[in-house]
Amino acid sequence: MKMRKISFGIVGLAFLFVLSVIPGYAQKEVTYLSLADYTAAIAGLNVPADMGCEDYFKELNAKGGVDGVKIKFIGVDTRYDVARGVSAYKRYRTEPKLLVVNAIGTPIGKAVAPLVAKDKLITLVPGDGEFQAHLGRVFIWGPAYQDSFAATIDWILSDWKKKGKTGAPKVGYISWDNPYGKEFLRGGKEYAEKMGVSLAPPEFFPPGSLDHSVYLTRLAKAEVNYIFVGGVDPTPTNVIRDAHKLGLTKTIQFFCDYWGPTSLGTRLHPEALEGVVIVSYYLRGDDARNHPLANLWTKYGRGKIEDMNEVYTIGMSWAMTFEAALKMALKEVGYKKLDGEVIYQTYQKLTGIERAGLQGPCAYSPTSRRGSLEVKFYQVKAGKVVSISDWIKAPDAVSLHKF
Amino acid sequence: MRPCGTFDERYSQDMAILRIKRHWAVLIGALILLYTFPLYGSYYFISLINSLSITIIIVLGLQLVSGYCGQISFGQAAFMAVGAYTSAILTGKLGVSFFIALPLSGMVSGLIGLGGGAPSLRIKGFYLAMATIAIHFVVMWLILHLQITGTTQGLHPPAPRMAGFEFDSDEKIYYIIVTVMLLMTYGARNIVRTRVGRAFVAIRDNDLAAEVMGIELYRYKLLAFFISCFYAGIAGSLWAHWIQMVHPEQFTLLHALNYIGMLIVGGGGSIPGVFFGVLFLRLLDEGVMFIAPILSSVFPWIGIHPAASMSVSVFGIVLILFLIFEPRGLAHRWEIFKASYRLYPFSH
Repeated sequence: MKMRKISFGIVGLAFLFVLSVIPGYAQKEVTYLSLADYTAAIAGLNVPADMGCEDYFKELNAKGGVDGVKIKFIGVDTRYDVARGVSAYKRYRTEPKLLVVNAIGTPIGKAVAPLVAKDKLITLVPGDGEFQAHLGRVFIWGPAYQDSFAATIDWILSDWKKKGKTGAPKVGYISWDNPYGKEFLRGGKEYAEKMGVSLAPPEFFPPGSLDHSVYLTRLAKAEVNYIFVGGVDPTPTNVIRDAHKLGLTKTIQFFCDYWGPTSLGTRLHPEALEGVVIVSYYLRGDDARNHPLANLWTKYGRGKIEDMNEVYTIGMSWAMTFEAALKMALKEVGYKKLDGEVIYQTYQKLTGIERAGLQGPCAYSPTSRRGSLEVKFYQVKAGKVVSISDWIKAPDAVSLHKF
Repeated sequence: MRPCGTFDERYSQDMAILRIKRHWAVLIGALILLYTFPLYGSYYFISLINSLSITIIIVLGLQLVSGYCGQISFGQAAFMAVGAYTSAILTGKLGVSFFIALPLSGMVSGLIGLGGGAPSLRIKGFYLAMATIAIHFVVMWLILHLQITGTTQGLHPPAPRMAGFEFDSDEKIYYIIVTVMLLMTYGARNIVRTRVGRAFVAIRDNDLAAEVMGIELYRYKLLAFFISCFYAGIAGSLWAHWIQMVHPEQFTLLHALNYIGMLIVGGGGSIPGVFFGVLFLRLLDEGVMFIAPILSSVFPWIGIHPAASMSVSVFGIVLILFLIFEPRGLAHRWEIFKASYRLYPFSH
């Protein structure tokens, strides 16, 4: 009797497996591959962002897809490991109608990009200006890191002026000691010099550091007026927590980049983060939670809306960009001729498309790989992340650097 | 263990790795399969074999220093990085041929590894492990900050070339990687059968007793580190020219931990154990990668992210299970299987 039950169980599971592996015969489908880190250094960003992307595709597919074409979302945990990322790409590159590879993480993006280009597909990567400097099949999600830093420099100058101070402000920079951490200054430094802002020697710490007091003390000794903190949350939250302990938040204005503290981070150290300014290319705080699309978070059982990580909206933005490209490509060539090359051409025609206001209008074009040009400034006030500016066009800092 | 009545009559028989005709047949068959695989194998599996072969070389090195000589080392990823960068600099910046850069990368890694082995005379066990972790961080810090290594941007080494032929695809470089892996395996297999190998085992089993027997501890410990790092350097060089990009974030402490995990699962002090450990854990990992999207589509309530991130938990669980139930690893299971197969139908 027991054996019979086990046999039925095995047969049942095998049946389900076969059903899932065999594609529906009349179903038109395209594939979107996400090489993401769900369990390592940047999981805090990757998991909610991919949830947004996945949920948006689910919603889209439930409504019949894009002109009848469904989108298959494949998420692979790379663990921020290049070998695993490369292996995952090689494993899934033959998926039917694979069109886009979202390589979340700088080293994986750089390793996978040549393979993806060889297969005539496109890669999406976070914000390295290098891909804007050398136009190819790699598209960045929003403005380049250095552009957002340049926008912050503008903000600092206007703040300095507003406060009636004379001379030039001195700015400190602290971030991870890795390619991402240094990318902001490749063009960002040149922009600061161009604007007459003095930069203190930058401080870099190894990812995973638990205490940042030494680096912050050095910046304080350099008598900086402003400090720009890099790193994917919770790193910036922890840096500012240490600055708060040292009493630096009273005298120095802190800034974070677009991977800086989300509302969840601010809940951990609200006192320390009070007054911190965040430069963001996507909606944050209640702006994000009150957005009509945020209801997908609860609809797909991700939890309470107050627990929604704002990075969730970036994922939806990726999905909406892909949806727009797919729609355009289907209209131009139809499903049969749809391939990576067509999507590459189409992504370059997405200039100006709107993504329900989740981020600025799309800036992809034959000469631009930036996902958008605008940034918005947010500030932590009474433990909440609130908007303090409209969308502002970020300066082009990439062109100032020789890559 | 051999069946009753099977014994050696000559020294050469005693020393032979392949003892009977069937062994030779299996080896030749396996080599034919391996070398013709790119002709019929899929791109994914060719790439997987490339990756597995490189990992086997690294873990072989670790097996020699940890499994045979008993010196725990967490520096394998860093020494692999040294090899990768050396090769990238030699070929990319100095125009040296890959085939010269390959052994040189191993040598440079080995020489730097001597520095890693230096503390091994004074400290052992947990403290040596900590010292090798420190070496990992020092090496990686240097790579991240030296101009010659391209700092955070890394380097892009060219594909290997020989007489105008470029090994610029997975299928082409496969032959180099697999050949080097086989040579390194042969080398490791022979090292452990020599006086040096026996000295390693003596040090591992009881270093005081080994010293009393006349084994120079420091010399042999350093030699073990040198060989281990040489292996890592060779693997690094192959990796660099296979991926054609070297970057500091490709060589993390987590990788070093994974290699130790492979050693535990495969079994310490055994060359086949390296193959078992690497194959088992890497294929498990690939299996999870393969099954995760299917799982999440059959059981949507699991979700894509939990399914995709299973591999970390699976790795941890497997490691714990092995440590509890089979601390001698798969190699020991293999020995048991071989013994029972050879002695069948008798139990001993």
